[in-house]
Amino acid sequence: MKNTDRYKKNLIVSTGKNKTYASESVKSIIYSTDPRDFGQVKKSIPCQDACPAHTNIPGYIRCIHEKRFGRAYELNRLANILPGVLGRICSRPCELYCRHGEPDLGKPVSICSLKRSAADFKSPMHRILEGLYSPSGKKVAVIGAGPAGLGAAHELSVLGHKAVIYEAFEKPGGMLMYGIPDFRLPRNVLMLEIENILRLGVELKTGVKVGTDVSLDSLLSDYDAVVIATGCTMPNRLGAPGEDLEHVYSGVRFMEQVNNGETPYVGKNVMVIGDGFTAMDCARSAVRLGAAEVKVNIRKTEEYMPIDDQEKHEVKFEKIRFYSLVDTKRIIGEKGKVTGIEFLRTKLEYSPNPPYRNAVPIENSEFILPADSVIVAIGQQPFPGEISGKIEQNGARILTRESGFSTSITGLFATGDCASGASNVITAIANGRKCAVDVDEFLIGRKRKIHVVRLESVDNTDRDRAYDFIKRTPMNTLDFDQRVSQRSNEVEKGYNEEQAAQESKRCYLCSLKYEIDTTACIYCSACIDVAPRDCIKMIQDVSMNPDGSFGHYTETRNWNNVSAIAIDNERCIRCGQCYEVCPMDCISVTKTERIELNIEE
Amino acid sequence: MPKNDHYVIIGNGPAGNLAADTLRDSDPDARITIVSNESMTYYYRHKLTEFIKGKAREEDLTVRPYSVYKDKNIRLRLGQQVDKIDPNKKIIYLKHMETVSYTKLIIATGASPRALPSVSNFSKCLNVLSTYSDALAQIPMINKNKTFLVLGGDIISFKFIRMLKDMGKEVTTLLYSEAFWPFSLEADMAQQVKKSLSDKGVTVISDDHIKSVKKSGEAFDIVTEKGLNQSFDSVYSFLGMIPNIRFILGSGIDTDRGILVDDHLKTNFDDVYAAGDCAQIYNPDMKSYWLSIGWNNAKIQGTLAAQNLLGAHKVINPAPQKILEVEGLKINTSWWESF
Ligand SMILES: Cc1cc2nc3c(=O)[nH]c(=O)nc-3n(C[C@H](O)[C@H](O)[C@H](O)COP(=O)(O)OP(=O)(O)OC[C@H]3O[C@@H](n4cnc5c(N)ncnc54)[C@H](O)[C@@H]3O)c2cc1C
Ligand SMILES: Cc1cc2nc3c(=O)[nH]c(=O)nc-3n(C[C@H](O)[C@H](O)[C@H](O)COP(=O)(O)OP(=O)(O)OC[C@H]3O[C@@H](n4cnc5c(N)ncnc54)[C@H](O)[C@@H]3O)c2cc1C
Ligand code: SF4
Ligand code: SF4
Repeated sequence: MKNTDRYKKNLIVSTGKNKTYASESVKSIIYSTDPRDFGQVKKSIPCQDACPAHTNIPGYIRCIHEKRFGRAYELNRLANILPGVLGRICSRPCELYCRHGEPDLGKPVSICSLKRSAADFKSPMHRILEGLYSPSGKKVAVIGAGPAGLGAAHELSVLGHKAVIYEAFEKPGGMLMYGIPDFRLPRNVLMLEIENILRLGVELKTGVKVGTDVSLDSLLSDYDAVVIATGCTMPNRLGAPGEDLEHVYSGVRFMEQVNNGETPYVGKNVMVIGDGFTAMDCARSAVRLGAAEVKVNIRKTEEYMPIDDQEKHEVKFEKIRFYSLVDTKRIIGEKGKVTGIEFLRTKLEYSPNPPYRNAVPIENSEFILPADSVIVAIGQQPFPGEISGKIEQNGARILTRESGFSTSITGLFATGDCASGASNVITAIANGRKCAVDVDEFLIGRKRKIHVVRLESVDNTDRDRAYDFIKRTPMNTLDFDQRVSQRSNEVEKGYNEEQAAQESKRCYLCSLKYEIDTTACIYCSACIDVAPRDCIKMIQDVSMNPDGSFGHYTETRNWNNVSAIAIDNERCIRCGQCYEVCPMDCISVTKTERIELNIEE
Repeated sequence: MPKNDHYVIIGNGPAGNLAADTLRDSDPDARITIVSNESMTYYYRHKLTEFIKGKAREEDLTVRPYSVYKDKNIRLRLGQQVDKIDPNKKIIYLKHMETVSYTKLIIATGASPRALPSVSNFSKCLNVLSTYSDALAQIPMINKNKTFLVLGGDIISFKFIRMLKDMGKEVTTLLYSEAFWPFSLEADMAQQVKKSLSDKGVTVISDDHIKSVKKSGEAFDIVTEKGLNQSFDSVYSFLGMIPNIRFILGSGIDTDRGILVDDHLKTNFDDVYAAGDCAQIYNPDMKSYWLSIGWNNAKIQGTLAAQNLLGAHKVINPAPQKILEVEGLKINTSWWESF
């Protein structure tokens, strides 16, 4: 059978019949496990697919539009448990893929800042929702109270197990508490959201270092399962002479001191080496510690820095300079104290597969710049240290089974940065939760939760074409004086309600799937005439993806070859124009959502 | 063998025009196109201040009238903004959705006034002057207004201040010594500048920064960090220039502060060269990267980029050094032409 025939057949067959694969209008709500529906959702909602926790982004943005902030917050919490935190510091992988950011469509929706708005404007002490399972009587130890450990403990508690977290530091949060500075993440916001986890019955033991204060073996014998979530706490070394001089810091240790309320010496002239989150936090903290001139030295150029434009803007606003195309040759000192850095200039060199740029030092290009202090923030690695023992490792990382989180020791699991290598908060949370589901299956012996696609036919596009031309709302921030006068002043002020409402209109609501019923279509092409881009296609043939969903469309301009007219949901910006103009009412809109369901209900 | 080369040059300043001439001289039949977002043919930017004063007419600004392009068979597309380059497909995308294919490309897009992050909160209230259309639009306003604040962070500001004084305006300038462009103003130099400007009747503020600029009625209220609170009819910002490279980001052509080129002015793509104010070059003598600035460097680079694009292997050197005198300072410079 030709693919187009199958396409048509599908359209016909699924009409009115109780078939889970819904490729046409669905009159009632259907929960589908058909891989083709997952394939369709994946392609249609690029932001949700890019979010490691698969947060229902269009869903919560729509709630913000309706001013249902509490609901927007809970939709977030379902997937990522720390919305107020993430709304401030998430690395925003979703925004890179937002359809609104495609060429000629403007800038991505401020997905992250809207998440913060949900947290800011929900009513105080609003009702939180948890789908709790009854107690299993099983006990699980979680090592590390960073985002991964918190995510795992939360999900384990929901699933009815007793989770006990062992944390070496005095306070929970991991890098949220000891890495990220409070001017980006106020600690009351962090602690409130951690409390929401602890109140499920999670026990938190802080100031206990596993391996030193209590052995891994004793945990393994005292608990039904153990999850290691110890993060990446060991700084990478530069490997250049002078690294051990006084006033040379590693990024993580420097931030640890700053976040403990200490004031490490920085002097007037600070050199930061590195281009990631940690380097930016160190540079910005140095400004707040009184440095007059702070340079962030990077080997490549700004374009290749792994941080987003907003962060770059804030850094520059604080009078920090990016000093690009330089490589550290050595750190220079006098009487044991740092006085400067000798650099080499670098040039970019192309390397194919995948396309990438290397920074190559230029010969004889040495030059020296003075420095009162140097902060080396070039990444960190896991430090399983005393707890590693007999566990198989992959370099410094704890080796986990390819498809999951179990380690070489039965009942011992690992998740977060200690297993994946340094990542980001949302990845760590997502992996923490997934790991808990693996642990649950290990303890209970069966799967209890599944993902399904919820399909609901709707008769409203929920949008106005004018929304497409609204510009991305910039973040409100403090001016420079307020930032430095008190180092804990939060720099980003969040949107006000009106700004949040305005920004929420920008979302195309990609979860709405537009389809043309080819059996009713009279091929008048009225929809094509009003379409804002090449979203509606006259197709000759269509290929199939491995999951069975429709793949690439072979288009034709010759009416004799047209076998169907179809909406390409990867191109559609859900403007609703075709829906309004169709004389035969053959365009349908279906809300498609990926959700988690309990199998046993 | 017939040649099918289409040389496209983006930018119609000195670098772009010298490149076009060089290409035409050695390849009489080639298709040559210059694309520029300005509407004026090749003109002298440094004469804009004379133009505003009414001392120079449009003809006096013009380096090259349209007829010369016609005689040289150089296709001039004015008022057309290049939005994107695809160096793999060798296509440039114009803002009005048209595409132009090239076989060889020279980017000579110059530089624009820089908006320092510290002024971003009120950049809407600041005027800049760098093009003919800026000047044209601002003449009525400059004629009408009496009091001017000039954020003096670059060498061009001096010329503008002098123009205002010649026109009998009241001028206050805030000297940005530490962020001065294109050289840093050491304390003694700043002192000389201050004296020279004060002697001309300009009020000079130094060691202070703008905190806020707010529009109130027709005027602008200024507050500085040290507490100065004053109202001006208009506020001008001269805080240096930055290369026009935004439209290149993400294309695969490497950029830093400018477009990164080797000492032959070639980018990381074999058929794409860059010249003039937009180019950034490693200079082994300075052991540093260097952004070309100034009229003469643009001419030299435009010529050399075209020669190398045609197969020569010439290495770029900055223009020869000369003494430049501005506001009491004598500077040894290879980057600025005194006119
Ligand atoms: C300065 C800095 C800024 C960052 N900024 C961002 C950002 O803006 N956005 C973003 O997405 N990501 C950011 N990151 C990365 C992010 O913080 C990490 O990817 C994330 O925290 C990893 O989570 P985790 O739970 O795996 O590990 P961690 O957060 O590192 O938590 C591990 C926890 O385990 C504890 N632990 C370790 N060993 C033991 C032991 N033997 N016994 C008991 N407890 C132990 C540690 O004390 C720690 O609390 C930043 C990182 C740093 C360092
Ligand atoms: C007010 C003023 C006074 C000056 N005085 C002096 C002086 O006294 N001495 C001196 O040596 N120098 C002076 N300069 C600097 C001098 O004008 C420049 O160095 C010189 O013009 C640089 O030449 P260029 O060819 O590299 O670029 P430009 O002359 O800047 O030409 C680049 C052209 O490309 C166009 N363009 C940019 N982006 C695009 C795009 N995406 N699509 C299409 N077109 C684009 C620009 O609009 C511009 O027309 C002055 C500059 C100004 C603004
Ligand atoms: S427009 Fe909305 S739903 Fe679509 S990708 Fe962007 S944020 Fe997601
Ligand atoms: S709603 Fe219809 S017209 Fe609008 S973008 Fe989608 S398919 Fe095109």
